[in-house]
Amino acid sequence: MLHIVDDEAVVRDSLSWLASSRGIAATTYDSAAAFLAFAQSGAFDPEGDCVLLDVRMPEISGVAAFDQLAARGLTARLPVIFLTGHGDVPMAVDTLKRGAFDFFEKPFNDNQLMDRVQEGLAASREASGKAAVQARLATLSSREREVLDLILAGKMNKVVADELGISMRTVEVHRAHIFDKMQVKTAVELAGLLK
Amino acid sequence: MLKRISLPSSVRWLLPVVLVLLFVAIVFWLPWQARQLESTERQEQLIADTLWVEQSIRFQLGRHEESLRGLANEIATGHPAPADVQQRMERMLKNGAELKSVIQVDPHGRVVVASEGAPVGAGTNAMLGQSSLAAQDHARRTHSPVYAEPEPLGGDAAPDALKMDLHFPIYRGDQWMGSLVATFQLSSLLDEMVPWWFAQDNQISLLDRDDKVLARRSSAGPGHGVYTHKRALDLPGATITLMTDSVKGEPKLLPNLLVGSVIALSLALLWSLFALWGHISRRLAAEGELRQQMSFRTAMENSLVTGLRARDLEGRITYVNPAFCQMVGYPAEELIGRSPPMPYWAPDVMEEYQHRLANVLAGSITPEFETLFQRPDGTRIPVLVFEAPLVDKEGRHTGYMGSILDISDRKRMEELNRQHQEKLQASARLATMGEIASMLAHELNQPLAAISSYTTGALNILARGGDTAMLKPALEQAGAQAQRAGQIIRSVHEFVKNRESERQDVALQSMLDSILVLIELQARQHHVSLQIELPDSLPLVRADRLLIEQVLLNLTRNGIEAMGDVQPLKRVLRVVAENDPLAGMVVVQVIDNGHGIPQDVAERLFSPFFSTKAEGMGMGLNICRTAIEFHGGTLTHRDNPQGGTIFTFTLPVAGGVK
Repeated sequence: MLHIVDDEAVVRDSLSWLASSRGIAATTYDSAAAFLAFAQSGAFDPEGDCVLLDVRMPEISGVAAFDQLAARGLTARLPVIFLTGHGDVPMAVDTLKRGAFDFFEKPFNDNQLMDRVQEGLAASREASGKAAVQARLATLSSREREVLDLILAGKMNKVVADELGISMRTVEVHRAHIFDKMQVKTAVELAGLLK
Repeated sequence: MLKRISLPSSVRWLLPVVLVLLFVAIVFWLPWQARQLESTERQEQLIADTLWVEQSIRFQLGRHEESLRGLANEIATGHPAPADVQQRMERMLKNGAELKSVIQVDPHGRVVVASEGAPVGAGTNAMLGQSSLAAQDHARRTHSPVYAEPEPLGGDAAPDALKMDLHFPIYRGDQWMGSLVATFQLSSLLDEMVPWWFAQDNQISLLDRDDKVLARRSSAGPGHGVYTHKRALDLPGATITLMTDSVKGEPKLLPNLLVGSVIALSLALLWSLFALWGHISRRLAAEGELRQQMSFRTAMENSLVTGLRARDLEGRITYVNPAFCQMVGYPAEELIGRSPPMPYWAPDVMEEYQHRLANVLAGSITPEFETLFQRPDGTRIPVLVFEAPLVDKEGRHTGYMGSILDISDRKRMEELNRQHQEKLQASARLATMGEIASMLAHELNQPLAAISSYTTGALNILARGGDTAMLKPALEQAGAQAQRAGQIIRSVHEFVKNRESERQDVALQSMLDSILVLIELQARQHHVSLQIELPDSLPLVRADRLLIEQVLLNLTRNGIEAMGDVQPLKRVLRVVAENDPLAGMVVVQVIDNGHGIPQDVAERLFSPFFSTKAEGMGMGLNICRTAIEFHGGTLTHRDNPQGGTIFTFTLPVAGGVK
């Protein structure tokens, strides 16, 4: 989902139309405050989302809104692309350093912008996936982590049992728990997830 | 300055003091010595005279003795008649008044013959007296004449008159035949035998063996007892001393004018010496004061931050103070005596110095001017020089004294001020220009971006072969946005119209005047001379004052800065205006002799954000052209045939074509 935040209705509508022409679903917000309100609600899931944020807006500027998103730890999984009407290279560099995904100066090449938006959506999905794997890894016990590392090294259950000084049977129980917790069925699938 | 032998001051003072003391001693010793000399001389004279008197007395007495010897011999040999004897005696008496009487006595004491005036009657013994008789006895025994001790004369003579008898024994063979007795009156002896000139100066006395006065002659008054002499008369039988006593007293201390004048002159000399001494002391004091003044002044000159420099009439440096040396970075030894060109002249301003020097040599100085000096390390210092003629004590003109102020700080302040002011003005003017530009940029940006998005989206759908019905609202939106852009352009026209209302009929001269200070400041700083040629007949123009002033400032600054590498004499910026009645325009040209504009630069000259200057914003010429075009004029440039560039802009004449 693409979130378009701009105080200018013309810009919102045209960008929304442009996104739909590329098959990208978009919602529009007429102010930073409206978007922040939505981001705070439970309905908001940043996975697979991207934000087009106008820099110059009344009340809360784009940069201030970005800062609030960053404060909530959202910017890691939610790529933000800034739009500005006035070329301001220092500000662009500053926001990119602080984690903005990209920066476009009006007038921009519309399809280039949309390409970038799609990259942003993909990045968001990837970041969300990685976050999920990390969450599952966090549920493993320390013995299970040891077993996991040895499995990833491609060792057979017997070798694992010898190295850790436990019985084959115990290794098999751990292995079953690891597959269960990581929500995979095979070792190959597990290796792909932790690549 | 004379080399002085340095003596310890005590020795230096000792010598004159000793000399003066010696001089005083001699002055007092000399008259004393003269007096001594005179006294000795007188004494000697007295002795000589006394000897002379004694000799003449002795001589006279001798003559009488001779006469008596002759008579005695005659009596002894020839028995002369008593009358003859008496006659001889009378003759003897006539020969000397001192001789009172002569008598001949026989061995029994009887008077045989007596001269006239001899006491008669009384016995011979009584007549002769005691000492006379003793002398007679003595003479008889010694067979030689003997003088008797003086005795009172007796008779009718004065009671104190003394006589002295000479007994001359008469012998025939060994038989004593009596004596011849000659009686001398002592007082007469002196009266007769002492010459008058001697008696006039001296008191002459005859003394007996007890120094009792026997006779005295003092025709010139009593003696003073200062110069005295005694001489024994050496008469056989009698002891009589001749004593002279000068009537002259001791010589006076200042006996003559000579000594007096010597002393007076000496005193005068001493006085003048002391006066000289005093003069010298005053002089020394004055010299000390002068030296103190000198050191005071030197300290003052050394503490000055203003440079001082004196030049003679040929322009040679005769004096510099430390501040000047510090200012130009050369030591005083290298500067004093130097003739132009001076080491601190900056090479590129040399002609200016030479020109001023020529004026100085011609006798006319610029009392105050600004110039540049260059230090040995190449740094340049702007200075302000004040010069005034230097006149010596006779009122003769000997050179020029200049005081030099380092105005680097002032210049820097001026420059900062100017830049500040210019920035303020520029921003004020930029705000005006920027208003238009920014409004255009922002307002047009939105609709154009929207149109672009709609059309791109439409093309995307067409490319995907999507439902063309979807295109309709998008294209409608794009059309609406194009309309909006048109409205914006119209509103810009409105804005320009509004600015037109700020246009007024204004003289080019008055616009130039209001920014002339800024232009001149910059021109002076770059050593550019400014020539403004506006004909009096120039008509008023219809212009927005602020904008045209900005244009003029920009163009003149560009011209001035373009001449930075040109030699100073060629740095001339001309602003020329003329009327073009056919076009109804006033044509203004800003002409420099600078580096000109290369072809590649010329092509981009008016594009925004293009600048050849490190500090430039690149908006200057762009804004200038926009401003001129707002007024309905043009801004162009071409190469100056004499090198450099000519920028030309036109402005509509007031009341002309709108």
